[in-house]
Amino acid sequence: MAIIGEWIRRLGYLLRRRALEDELRQEMEAHRAQMGEPPGFGNTLRLREEARDAWGWRWLDDLVQDTRFACRMLRRSPGFALTAIVTLALGIGVNIGMFSLVNGLLLRPLYEDADEVVQVRSRTAGPPARGRAFSYPNYRDLQEGTTDIFANLAAADTGFVGLDVGETPRRAMASAVTANYFQVFAAPLAHGRFFTTEEERPGAAIRVAIISYPLWEQLGADPSTLGRLVRINREYFTVVGVARQGFTGTSIPGPEVWLPLGARETFSTEDRPERPVDAREVHELSVVGRLRSDTRIENAVAVLATVGRRLEQAFPSINAGYSLTMSKPSARLMFMPTAGTGETARLVLLLMLMPAVVLLVACLNLADLLLARGHVRRQELAIRSSLGGGRWRLTRQLLTEGLLLSLAGGGIALLLSAWATKELLASLRPLLPVAVTLPDVSLDWRVLLGTMAFSLLATLVFAAAPAVALTGRAAAADLKRHSGNEGRRPGGVRIGNVLVVGQIALSLLLLSSGGLFMMSAIGATNVDPGFRLDGGLIVQVDPALARYDESRGRQAHLTLIDRLRGVPGVEAVTIGSSPPFTSSGDSRDVAPAGGADARSPFGAAQGDRERVERSRSVDAVFSVVGRDYARVLGLPMLGGRDFSDAEMAPGSGERVAIIDDALAERLWPGEDALGRWIQFLDAKGPEARPLLVVGIIPAVKHSLGTPRPYPHVYVPLGQHYESAMTLLLRVAEGQDERAMLGPIGRVVRDVDERVPALSVATWRDHLNAGLDVRIIRVGAGVFSAFGGIALLLAILGVYGVKSYVVSRRTREFGIRIAIGAHPRALLWQVLREGGRITTIGIGIGLLLALGAGQFLQGILYGVKSIEPVVLVTAALILVAASLLASYIPALRATGVDPTVALRSE
Amino acid sequence: MPRETGLPPGTLMMLVLRVLKTQPLHGYAIAQRIHLLSAEQLRVEEGSLYPALQKLLVKGWVKAAWRASESGRQVREYRITPAGRRQLEAEVAEYRRMASAIGVLLDEA
Repeated sequence: MAIIGEWIRRLGYLLRRRALEDELRQEMEAHRAQMGEPPGFGNTLRLREEARDAWGWRWLDDLVQDTRFACRMLRRSPGFALTAIVTLALGIGVNIGMFSLVNGLLLRPLYEDADEVVQVRSRTAGPPARGRAFSYPNYRDLQEGTTDIFANLAAADTGFVGLDVGETPRRAMASAVTANYFQVFAAPLAHGRFFTTEEERPGAAIRVAIISYPLWEQLGADPSTLGRLVRINREYFTVVGVARQGFTGTSIPGPEVWLPLGARETFSTEDRPERPVDAREVHELSVVGRLRSDTRIENAVAVLATVGRRLEQAFPSINAGYSLTMSKPSARLMFMPTAGTGETARLVLLLMLMPAVVLLVACLNLADLLLARGHVRRQELAIRSSLGGGRWRLTRQLLTEGLLLSLAGGGIALLLSAWATKELLASLRPLLPVAVTLPDVSLDWRVLLGTMAFSLLATLVFAAAPAVALTGRAAAADLKRHSGNEGRRPGGVRIGNVLVVGQIALSLLLLSSGGLFMMSAIGATNVDPGFRLDGGLIVQVDPALARYDESRGRQAHLTLIDRLRGVPGVEAVTIGSSPPFTSSGDSRDVAPAGGADARSPFGAAQGDRERVERSRSVDAVFSVVGRDYARVLGLPMLGGRDFSDAEMAPGSGERVAIIDDALAERLWPGEDALGRWIQFLDAKGPEARPLLVVGIIPAVKHSLGTPRPYPHVYVPLGQHYESAMTLLLRVAEGQDERAMLGPIGRVVRDVDERVPALSVATWRDHLNAGLDVRIIRVGAGVFSAFGGIALLLAILGVYGVKSYVVSRRTREFGIRIAIGAHPRALLWQVLREGGRITTIGIGIGLLLALGAGQFLQGILYGVKSIEPVVLVTAALILVAASLLASYIPALRATGVDPTVALRSE
Repeated sequence: MPRETGLPPGTLMMLVLRVLKTQPLHGYAIAQRIHLLSAEQLRVEEGSLYPALQKLLVKGWVKAAWRASESGRQVREYRITPAGRRQLEAEVAEYRRMASAIGVLLDEA
């Protein structure tokens, strides 16, 4: 209590201190008058200051004073201040940008009071005991039994749908949810209304939808969007609501559209045949709830256990060994890039580290600048020190100046990065395999705090060393010494050189990493797929999204092939389940079937064919294809025949296959594969029967990640059914394939309105739009930007140090010119010295770059850990830049006028 | 910190509180009182007195108010607060304890 009173009095003093100080002065003067001293005798200032210290505001006075002084110093050298602020803005900006992304994706809670939201999971008795989703009746019983602990308990089923908002239909993430779903997340809608309990009722089939905020923006951000129709799979849905901006549910990314649970039938795809949602044995819902704020965890666990037991007793056959647990909603980030998790982690680490390196380069650069300024400041510091300024006080003064610069830089960086982060996130959107909702990455207190932290950290790194170096000298001695002698004491120069070496090394690291990404991006764009890219179009369809069964699906595929063949300008059409670069890739273990006489299958005994050579099996991409597949891809038949029309229909006698030369070479090296038999080892039933190889075609590259050539096996449409298929078209010579995209899209729509085209694109666009290519491109862009910034900073650093050195040695150069040194010799000397530190920096930088190459090798497509081209180019750029940066100061050295130089000090 | 008086640290504040205990006084009068009451042994310079007074203000042990003195001059008068009285009692008790302990020790040795 006493402490609080004391602080209140202190604050009161702070607020009225001018008046109070005046009172103190009057009082002390009165005191002196009473002592009998004449008025105006003696100085009460010092005594007053000491008395004032009692209030404990000295530090604030000092801070204000330091800051004022720092402002004055910076105003006096605006060039320096500007350079420093820009440098810091760049260095801090890239870090805030990256931090904003991490914050938005990983740190910021997705919804309010996130610790109250839990996921409820259920397990059933084994063997084996395993986790199970909820059926709707189980969910309802759970909800009714837990009203004491949950404020809201919702259920959801998330999956992919074909979404058509008036353009080309596309695959989108969707969630069928209970009426109270949004309340669980305390997430009000931006517009419209929640679902009603009537809409939730299973089988209600009331077709209404809530759309995500980005989708709403895409539709024109118009309030009249409410009431508008969107098409999901085959049905029209009325938009009744728009989710709050940035709302993604429990995970990132979130769905684009939410349906009421009662309309979930729309949802089913080939993997999920139609089943009644209200059956107790159909377990497809995930359950998430918000605990009441007064719920104790032990209590909640006990209630869940009771409800679990009750459900088991009531439905022993379905809920045997039922137990319920709750946990934090997991899987905050889904759809990490397709690469393995180890590689993803490395990429993320890299993305976090690189901005830090840029900031380090910026700090080294500023330390350089501050040291160079030190020679201007030394006299001033010496005077202040001899007038009684303590070392700590002087250091603090220099640190205050540094902090002022950092905060100014940080402020600008904040503005820059707010813009850059939005752009970066927008560029990430197409990286995701489907359209989804991404969270908000705008500024919040975490980012502001992060900016402060980065600014403080930067200040400590760049200002501390020079401050200590400058104040550490015997300052009084400095004052006496003639400042012209300082060239002989190269301590500052040496530190400067070390800093420049560091900058050059780190810049080389960033430049070469950017170079590796760029090489990889170029390599990926110019990849030789092994087939003709030009003049090719693709159309992706999936009749299962319209809930077509196999026979209707087959019919849809065949009709589409037929109709597209009739489009003018189309030369050939085929269809395939796993064409190259479509990121669909079913694969099979293929083994030769039958013995040496398998060449004549009708003569071979059945037993021989069954004698599969398991050890010789080869992993091959399995693709169901139509006729003319090789022709459309521009591949010649290397032997045998194409599939026949009869083989396009199911139940057409002998099982046949076309394989590529890569598979043939692996199965029967050096022999003719035609007419031999193969078998799928991992297949069951009729699929396991041997297939006769009837044709051989050249191998193609399947995806950027797979080595080329990768073995393929093709079977005709009739032998296997896949719903999701890609139609492949080759346009006639001289025809502009891009111009045909529109007409072809219309034809597909006309054929069967209920089977939307999920994508219509040219081969080349499709390849370039692939996930792998885009990741590499974004990487190349980001790293090149980092490298560019670092290069710019390194040039500034070299220039700063060289200018400093030359200005310190004006006198020396003057004397040398006066006694007859050729200006060119001086020029060479300065350049040589610059060259030396550049060489050392590049040496160290090459080692760092080799390490980074090792690190990047696994992530990047088609790049070796040592790429001489990249290393040499990066090194040359740096050499050229640093020579240029030393050339201008060197030129200045040769222009020294001896008379002026000798008189100058 | 008191310098010229040669008083142990903190003692000056106790002395100021002690002279204010009987009546409110202004700065010069406080110095005078201490001088007189100490049988002219202790002299308090303004350089020590005013920082000590400011500290007493911060702590809330005294309050200050302007008043016209007998000579008609405006003076700032200091008055002890209840908290100041409590503090004085505590400090005097503590000082007595210390002084007697030190005295005993010096006599014994």
